[in-house]
Amino acid sequence: MAVSSAGNPLRTSLGPTVPASLALIGLLVGLSLTVFLAGCSQGDSEDGLEDRAHRINRTLMCPVCPGESIDQSQNPLAVRMRGIVTDRLQQGWTEQQIKDHFVESYGDSVLLSPPARGFSLLIWILPPVALAVAAAAAALAMRSMRRGSEPAEVLAGTELTDDEYGQYSRRLDRILSDPESQA
Amino acid sequence: MIVEAGNIALAVGFVLSGYVAIASIAAGLRRVPELAVSARHGLYSIPLILALSTAALVYAFVTNDFSVRYVAENSSLAMPQAYTWVALYAGNAGSLLFIALMFSILAALATLSIRRSLPHTTPMAIGIMALVLMFFLGIIVFLANPLERLPATPPDGAGINPLLVHFGMFIHPPVQMTGLVAVAIPFSIAMGAMLAGRGGRDEWVDLGRIWAMISWLILTLGLLLGSWWAYTILGWGGYWAWDPVENSALMPWLAMTAFIHSIMVQRRQGMFRMWNIVIVIVAFTLAQMGMFINRGGPVPSVHSFAQSTMGWLFLMFMGVTLLGSLAAFFWRMDSLRSRGRLQALLSREAMFLLQNVLFLMVAAVTLWGTIFPVLSEAFADNTVTVGEPFYNRTAGPILLGIIVLMGVGPLFPWRRATVQNLARSLAVPIAAGAVTGAVVAALGVRQPVAALAIALCGVAAAGILHEWLRGTRSRLRRGELVWVAFGRLLASNRPRYGGYIVHLGIIMLAIGAVGSSFYGIQRDVALSPGQSYSIDQYTITYISSDRRLFPDREEQMARFDLYVDDAFAGTMEPTRTFYPDLRIAATRASIVSTPLEDFYVIPSEIGGDGDAVFRLHVNPLVWWMWMAGPVMAVGAAFAMSPQRHRSPAASRVPRSEQAAGA
Repeated sequence: MAVSSAGNPLRTSLGPTVPASLALIGLLVGLSLTVFLAGCSQGDSEDGLEDRAHRINRTLMCPVCPGESIDQSQNPLAVRMRGIVTDRLQQGWTEQQIKDHFVESYGDSVLLSPPARGFSLLIWILPPVALAVAAAAAALAMRSMRRGSEPAEVLAGTELTDDEYGQYSRRLDRILSDPESQA
Repeated sequence: MIVEAGNIALAVGFVLSGYVAIASIAAGLRRVPELAVSARHGLYSIPLILALSTAALVYAFVTNDFSVRYVAENSSLAMPQAYTWVALYAGNAGSLLFIALMFSILAALATLSIRRSLPHTTPMAIGIMALVLMFFLGIIVFLANPLERLPATPPDGAGINPLLVHFGMFIHPPVQMTGLVAVAIPFSIAMGAMLAGRGGRDEWVDLGRIWAMISWLILTLGLLLGSWWAYTILGWGGYWAWDPVENSALMPWLAMTAFIHSIMVQRRQGMFRMWNIVIVIVAFTLAQMGMFINRGGPVPSVHSFAQSTMGWLFLMFMGVTLLGSLAAFFWRMDSLRSRGRLQALLSREAMFLLQNVLFLMVAAVTLWGTIFPVLSEAFADNTVTVGEPFYNRTAGPILLGIIVLMGVGPLFPWRRATVQNLARSLAVPIAAGAVTGAVVAALGVRQPVAALAIALCGVAAAGILHEWLRGTRSRLRRGELVWVAFGRLLASNRPRYGGYIVHLGIIMLAIGAVGSSFYGIQRDVALSPGQSYSIDQYTITYISSDRRLFPDREEQMARFDLYVDDAFAGTMEPTRTFYPDLRIAATRASIVSTPLEDFYVIPSEIGGDGDAVFRLHVNPLVWWMWMAGPVMAVGAAFAMSPQRHRSPAASRVPRSEQAAGA
């Protein structure tokens, strides 16, 4: 198996087998990706009513049981709301219409993720901004960690800690005091 | 009598922790060895003193001494004897005592483990641990004393919260509480080293890392046990709800996960010294935040059993320690200059840093989602809910990124990677991941994100197995037996290969989460006795129901036969228990679990005429999540087990095996 050559202890002896195995692997990846994309692009053939209701139920909070969706909750109100969702779907309402309907009766807090408007816009804006800032900060930090003149780098790498110093001086003492090891 | 002795012990513990804190810090600053010894011995005696108080409380519970307020509030004559032990931490005051006891034990053990190898750091670390302990004991003594007597003795107690009457209760809350407070140990060691001016030497790193791993492991087990408990008893078929209290336990876990990775860079390269201090401060702050939210924070949650009005004290303590730590950090910043420099962006160091950024981002997003309802209420007068859909959209993509890093990060060598050696070490895992993705797509996984996540898990698993295979094979050439070779390979670098075992556990966890969240099926069905319902290969036939009345509760049990692929697979009896006084219903689901999927039945309503509504779940791959716990525990224990330092040559795998570094 060509792949196993990667485990060869002598790097230099890998020689021509590397491109061959890489090509093989590349081919494999390409083939797999094709199957993968073909598979995914088919999508779920059709969503049943129950699945669509389930998906909506998961985004609505049961107003009397904080934090629980009407999908999870066994509270009678949640049961009734589930019934309404199914009914409206059968009547041909869209997901958005159904959600708006509940927001009208219960307010924004009935949605398990806040709507992207007003003050609640913040909850959606901040995470990507924070991610960008964190990425930029990390990039800057890495740049500053890489900066510095070469000699400083050499010195920094060779600085001895007390432990190391002690260790080396002990070893030196041992060698000097033991005539055998001078050979 | 015994209760009074316990009370005195509490007071003594409080005073003693104050003495230890002052004496130890003074001894550290002024370098007075005798004082340091005295403080250390003081610290050792605190667990014994607190054990006395705890024993007194347990004694009060076992003897049904309802003159003690806490016992009267959390126990009753009807309560099973075994739960008197659990009742100890079922309420606010008792759980604080439990936390203080556990922390004092951990602090004593940590002191024992560091005092010889870190003589300069130890007094400072002891001082910080004693301050934390003093805070808890102060609250217990002055505000929430579980041994306080009532003016008059009631005939019976109020009883325990019924949701807590479950085997999981014996383990999850105490483990979780211990995990949160255990974060204070690596914090104390790191801060102690920095305050003692030893931050620039990396001597504290080995022990700091081990204690960080210990707290990480306890937090991990706490989280998994909590999920398992929710899954089996809370009766909604799920295991994680992004509930504020769950979040507050997750956040310190995320920060500790970042820390146990970045500390490896300091251990190996002497870099990230400031960064590691910052992360450990963040982790400790988030752990305190967790305690604050659990004890009556401003966010509603199902975890309110320990709720009290003293949450704000925790918040203040958190603020004080955060400011104090930051002040200390800036004071000592000069001593924390890195020894090495980052040599390339394509390097293990850079990957660790990226990992840290992603983990802290998940923590930040979680924090943001947890506190946003409070902000919205305060600033916009608008009540909003932040639940699963928010986290799926924000934390979800970052978690995918983390899986990518878990797959490729460990394959980067230290210092500098070249494109060639990266291509060589990444080729096989990436190919394996692509094949995995294709196979699951062909098997019918049509959701792109689910298939992608599983493919990424394939990359990570293949990276680990491929490296093990290569390492073992090169040892085989020396004539070792397969298992000996594999064992020696693992033992040659315990932090690395223990970490790999943990990663395998994470992969199992991810697979379970993907399977159940993308492909879980849920149906509510109404059945009369004798009727059947089929879902996938499962058919249930409802037989009968039973209703039993108890003084404090009403139990309804449904009985039905289960057929899998038309073969009889047993009779199941899920129950639903209602506690009218407390208006709480607890369900015990019937679960048939296989590695492929769980079939899960909860009775949601059982009418008087026998008609019943059931909720059925088919949850694919959940089994793997619960199996991940032991795997991660073994991996973490292995990664932190002491390894004798050998000369590099003896432990090293041949050079090219090291292409990936170690």
